[in-house]
Amino acid sequence: MINTSEQEELLKLIANFMKTDIEAVAIGGTAMMFSNYKNATKDIDIVFKDVEDRDVFIDAIKQLGYIEKSLSDIYDEKRQQNPAKPLMFSRSDERFDLFVSSVFGFKINFSQDAVLQKYDFLGKSRLTLNVPVKEVLILLKAITGRETDFEDIVTILKAENNVSWDSITKQAIGYKESLPWILIDLEECMQKLGKLFDIDDTYFKRLYDAHGD
Amino acid sequence: MAEIIGKYTVELYAQENSISRQSALNKLSGLKKKGFVKVSGGGKQKRIYTLYKRPVREPNGFYSIVNKYAKIKLTPEFEHYIYGRYTVEDAIIDGLKIDNARTKIAVSNLFRHITDWTYLMHKAKGNNLLERLHEYYEYAKKSTKCKRMPKRYMKESIKND
Repeated sequence: MINTSEQEELLKLIANFMKTDIEAVAIGGTAMMFSNYKNATKDIDIVFKDVEDRDVFIDAIKQLGYIEKSLSDIYDEKRQQNPAKPLMFSRSDERFDLFVSSVFGFKINFSQDAVLQKYDFLGKSRLTLNVPVKEVLILLKAITGRETDFEDIVTILKAENNVSWDSITKQAIGYKESLPWILIDLEECMQKLGKLFDIDDTYFKRLYDAHGD
Repeated sequence: MAEIIGKYTVELYAQENSISRQSALNKLSGLKKKGFVKVSGGGKQKRIYTLYKRPVREPNGFYSIVNKYAKIKLTPEFEHYIYGRYTVEDAIIDGLKIDNARTKIAVSNLFRHITDWTYLMHKAKGNNLLERLHEYYEYAKKSTKCKRMPKRYMKESIKND
C-alpha cells in the first residue's frame, strides 16, 4: 500500500530520473487519491500516450529497482489475453500498472477538455498526470474488474451526489462494437451498486436496448 | 473541486448541530485542519465557513501564477497542482499549450517577469513551441511593457520559423 504523500514523493523522485518530459493520465486508485476520495492504494495506474513515453517512465522506475511482474495474480484470463493490457512493475508493496493509450481497449481521451485536474511533478524532467472526470473513473473501475474496484466505486458514489449515469452509460454504449463485454461488465456492476444507491431504471433499460436483450 | 455540503457562520453551524458556539468553533477548526473547511472573511467581516464532502487543496499551478500577474483574469479550466518548483517560464509554456485568445492576452503579462530565458527557450524547443513562443512574445511586446528577449534567442526563433 502507498499513501497520498508517499505517492507524491515517489512521483517527484521518478521525475528526477526521467530523460524527457511526459504527460500521462492517472486512473484508478491514483486518480482517486489525487481527488481525495481515499488516502491509500495498492497500485499506481497510469495511461501513456504512446509506447515511447511509457519506455521513458519504465527506464526511470527500473533505475529505482522496480521489476516487471506477471499479470496473472491480479487480472483474470480475459484481461490477460487483451492486447491493451498493462505492463506491471513492482517493488515491495508498491505496484505500477502502465497502460498505453487505452485501458483494455477503452480509449483514454488526452485532450485538455477531458481533464479535471492536472498534477505536475517537477524534477529534472516534468511528469504531468491528468485526472479525468469521475464518470470516466467509475466506468474504468467497472471494467477493470479487480477485487477492490467495486469498493472504490462505492467510495466515489458516497462522496458525490451528482454522478452522471447518463454520461457513463452513453460512453459505454459508444464502445459496444469494439468492446462487446463492456455493457455486460457495467450492467453487472450497476446491479450491485443498485442495492446501495439509487440508479434510475432508464439507465439499465438503455444498456439492455444497446445490447439487444 | 469537491462537492460543497454548505456555507455556515459559526452560529448557524452551532444551531444546526445543536451544540454550543465554542464547540462549533472547535469542530470547524478540526475540520479545517483536515482540509474539509475553507474560511473566508475575518476581521470586520463575518467569517463564512464552506464545508466540503472531501478534503480540498488550493490549486497552486498555472492559473495561480497567471491570475497573480495578468490584468485580465482566467477562469480555471482544470485544477492545477504542482510538486516542485514552478516558475513563470513554466507557466508561459503551459499557456502556449492551452493557446486560446484569452489565455494569450493573460500570458502576455508574464513576459515582464521572465528571469530565465535559457530555461524558457529550452522548454519551448522541447515541446515544439518555439514558433508560438515567438508569436506570443511579439504580441506581448506590442500590448504590454515586457522584458526584451536576448538577441541570440530572437535569432533562434526566426531561424526556426
